[in-house]
Amino acid sequence: MIGPLIPMGVIPETWNNVIALLLGVGFGFALEASGFSSSRKIMGTFFGYDFVVLRVFFTAAITAMTGIFYFDYMGWMDMSMLYINPYYVMSAIIGGIIMGFGFALGGFCPGTSFTGIAIGKIDAMVFSGGLFIGVFIFSELYPLFQGLYNSGNMGAAKIYDLLGMRETVFAFLLIVAAVGMFYGAAFVEKKVKKVEY
Amino acid sequence: MNKRYMLLAGIIIALGVGILFMPAKDTAKQTQPELLLAAIDDPSRFLSTDDITDRLVKKDPALMLIDVRYESQFKAFSIPGAINIPADSLLSASAQEILNQKEMDKVFYSNADVTSDQTWIICKRMGLQRIYVMQGGVNKWFNTIVKAEKPAETAPTEAMDLYQFRVAACQHFFGSPEMAAAPKVVEKQKVTVVKKTSGAASGGGC
Repeated sequence: MIGPLIPMGVIPETWNNVIALLLGVGFGFALEASGFSSSRKIMGTFFGYDFVVLRVFFTAAITAMTGIFYFDYMGWMDMSMLYINPYYVMSAIIGGIIMGFGFALGGFCPGTSFTGIAIGKIDAMVFSGGLFIGVFIFSELYPLFQGLYNSGNMGAAKIYDLLGMRETVFAFLLIVAAVGMFYGAAFVEKKVKKVEY
Repeated sequence: MNKRYMLLAGIIIALGVGILFMPAKDTAKQTQPELLLAAIDDPSRFLSTDDITDRLVKKDPALMLIDVRYESQFKAFSIPGAINIPADSLLSASAQEILNQKEMDKVFYSNADVTSDQTWIICKRMGLQRIYVMQGGVNKWFNTIVKAEKPAETAPTEAMDLYQFRVAACQHFFGSPEMAAAPKVVEKQKVTVVKKTSGAASGGGC
């Protein structure tokens, strides 16, 4: 877990893996319960018959964001203590394209492929096998990719800083954009022929 | 459109409007008081005069010895190889450029420990890395290196070795202790600053 509870010593370090396991089990259960173990779910986003992936990701993002803002405002947590992944521009773009192809071709993301394996789906097993092959190739050829992998580091970049916006204004606009997107997605879903699965 | 969706969308937008009215945060980057206290408690920032002298003699390229006394004091006497950043000009842009060189070990010294340690705390609070204090300051340096006391004949070998080292270091810097004792004008050294972009934060992620 990245924190801030463990680095601050609220939860002892030894509980790290236990909490990770429990969160992972819960995450996998939620994925399977909402039908993500079927590759047709993710493909729905590309073919326009099911936008649940888009809704899940944006709901998670705006819910967590709203929670963080209010918790910070109440003084329950310190937003500045949160760990932010460093942003590598080039590797983010290229990695995003590769991962997008993987999504569209395989119909899984790494997490959903494991839930697929858990319920015995053969396509999920093949997908995960490919995942490990990809990891192996990347690791073996790392010296070749190293320059690209580490290029364009912008540190813990924040989009509202780059836009020169107040963070609260950006949060509000993101919520409005997400709700607008949900509405648009529902509109498209209605137009496109329903796929049963 | 489903009524439940409309309700949820309404709630999240209302919460978003609430966020809009939150006061602007003070985003100044400063060390947390708890972390600062822990860092002040930790004596590892203190480096001994002998250790610094050894690195000076060996011309350690990563060592940046910084005299935080007034310029007049610095000119009257300073440790060879030191640069002068008076404590009161610590926040000036030029001083910041010098201090922000991440690959250098910045070692502060003053007459004794007080000013250098205060400088250290301020720099720590600004989030600077690799900062140290030369314990005892220039007084101790002068008394141990320049006026090195010869140990008794019965002293252990280590004490004799240390004495030999101090005498040799003094000769390296000044030729003889008498020359060092005479105040002289030290020309201010020019420091070329290599600007570096901020390094990557520690790894992690999902």
